[in-house]
Amino acid sequence: MSAALTDRDRETFAAIADVLIPEAEGMPAASQVGVQGAALDHVLDLRPELRPAFERGLATCAGAAPAAAAEALNRDDPEALGAIGLIASAIYYMDPGVRTRLGYRGQENRPARDEEEGDYLRDDLLQPVVDRGPIYRPTPKPR
Amino acid sequence: MANVVTGKESAEILIVGAGASGAVAAKHLAEAGFQVVCLEQGPHVDVGEFYGDKPEWELMSQKRWHPNPNVRGRPSDYPIDTTDSDVNPLMFNAVGGSTVIYAAHWHRFMPSDFRVKTLDGVAEDWPFTYEDLEPYYDHMDLEMGVSGLAGDPAYPDFTPPPLPPLPIGPIGRKAAEGMNKLGWHWWPAPQAIPSRPYRGRSQCARRGTCMQGCPEQAKASTDLTHWPEALRHGATLVTGARVREIIVDKAGRATGAIYIDRDGREQEQRARIVILCCNGVGTPRLLLLSRSSRFPDGLANSSGLVGRNLMMHPFAAVVGYFDEPLDSWLGPAGQAIHSMQFYESDSSRGFVRGAKWNAMPTGGPLGMRSVYSGKPLAEAWGANLHRETRKRFGRSLEWGIIAEDLPDESNRVSLDPDLVDSDGIPAPKIHYGNSENTERLLAFHLERAKEAMDAAGAYDMSTTTLMRDCGWHLMGTCRMGDDPARSVVNQWGQAHDVPNLYIFDGSLFVTSSGFNPTATLCAVALRCTHHMIEQKAELEAAA
Repeated sequence: MSAALTDRDRETFAAIADVLIPEAEGMPAASQVGVQGAALDHVLDLRPELRPAFERGLATCAGAAPAAAAEALNRDDPEALGAIGLIASAIYYMDPGVRTRLGYRGQENRPARDEEEGDYLRDDLLQPVVDRGPIYRPTPKPR
Repeated sequence: MANVVTGKESAEILIVGAGASGAVAAKHLAEAGFQVVCLEQGPHVDVGEFYGDKPEWELMSQKRWHPNPNVRGRPSDYPIDTTDSDVNPLMFNAVGGSTVIYAAHWHRFMPSDFRVKTLDGVAEDWPFTYEDLEPYYDHMDLEMGVSGLAGDPAYPDFTPPPLPPLPIGPIGRKAAEGMNKLGWHWWPAPQAIPSRPYRGRSQCARRGTCMQGCPEQAKASTDLTHWPEALRHGATLVTGARVREIIVDKAGRATGAIYIDRDGREQEQRARIVILCCNGVGTPRLLLLSRSSRFPDGLANSSGLVGRNLMMHPFAAVVGYFDEPLDSWLGPAGQAIHSMQFYESDSSRGFVRGAKWNAMPTGGPLGMRSVYSGKPLAEAWGANLHRETRKRFGRSLEWGIIAEDLPDESNRVSLDPDLVDSDGIPAPKIHYGNSENTERLLAFHLERAKEAMDAAGAYDMSTTTLMRDCGWHLMGTCRMGDDPARSVVNQWGQAHDVPNLYIFDGSLFVTSSGFNPTATLCAVALRCTHHMIEQKAELEAAA
């Protein structure tokens, strides 16, 4: 069992996560949505197999300039960078504020409305296919 | 789960595997009055274990609910050596089997699929025709609660499915518009997903998480559609029971199975008749494990074909990106429309057979970024991540291409000499490569799919020439036929070598078609089951 993450681990993670997911293009940075907080513990609980590579990456990057450290990790230990990136982006895209900015409400319960059913029949989108007729080869007769 | 047995009481019929074919057999045999016991190595999955209605859905789809057992690594899974395979086999081990996480495309094979040798001069004909199987397709449509639109010109007329089709949605309309410009076939996709509440199941909520388990309990997985009825009629289902050997008597008849329970104890379940429903990898693995002095090459293997002719449907894809929002995370996850425009053989193309296409949604934002794995940091991350997500997420659709791979004896399942599962049982090893015919087929279809995407108005597209994690459809490894030298079982699933041993799963497919096979797999299992019921008085059985 790995030890609990330290404040320094979280600071290192937030710094690397901000290199990967910066404030840009109208979107917040990773640390601004709190990827280093309780959500990090939650994701590590759900995906414990990511923890060794994640912690290895943090140990490598601790105390280094974040951008250079991320580049070096991507080059020298892509598994570790991949674990940090997956955890950061998973937390980021679960954030309700981020989802709102993307126009994404998650995989929601959205049963079909009546007007959505058979629209291709009402506007004849399917009619050309019907008009062309059968395209299958029937079962050949026994010799 | 009810009716757990200790292995002391003999069964009239033992079924190994509680997935699609095992569930169909158990339900109908129990209803007909047979005393049925089923051994399933996996658990019964509770709906609360699915993540489709939770924010963590994408995170968990990459591990806990991944279709590749080697990635999932659950105690109920067994490892598979894929070092000699171009494609990874996919499956799920639980009550309901892979239907728990399948996309529920519910397609019949076309008439030509059963007559490949006669029509195209390759492989073998099936020992029965489309018309022979049609009533069983109709029956399974009702049992599963299929939604679809009658009149598809890619088929002869058949009984309409019980429920109207699900909407094709923005991605289906976009893909259809492109096909119409080219004058190509498409049709609203048939799904084993109810568009209306059906037999106790919910109406589809279109969450688009079908392939990680349906949290709405709408999708037709056989843990919902068949097992409750089988148990109500007295079938016994033993979960956590990993079978390591089918045992035989001196006369060469199957007498039951040895399995290992979750406490690590070996149990013996005796039976008069044994039916294997362990899928196209698990069934040959079990037969090869069941060697004895009488059957030194494995049980039912005098033909040498147990494990051979593995077919897994190589899958390629073109994803198109569009300017307008398409809500391309909206379900069903599997397909909105399909096309059989290039399904039938055309000698001018330089290959035989063809492929079915399915227009699919592209999922959530985390999955969208997975395509950047291994790319330079500035391309995969940083401000470019935001730009690409805004540009592509929710504005894309995929044409998936399911290629028919023909049987080839060198594509096979064997026992791995080193790898074992958590109970110490030898694991399967997959030997699988694409033929030249398949390579040509895929190249042709990819070019046509790009044309379709272009006609639909895509401003950009990406192509996957062969998806490694695509081996959903495990077929052919114990094929049926009339000649014991060229097949493992007859058309009723009865082993040529062992008269009271049957196989009802995808192993017995003669060819693969280009279709998602579960509808055919269930129809064939039902046909075999009905024959067994009709022949009850004449069935050969162990003492």
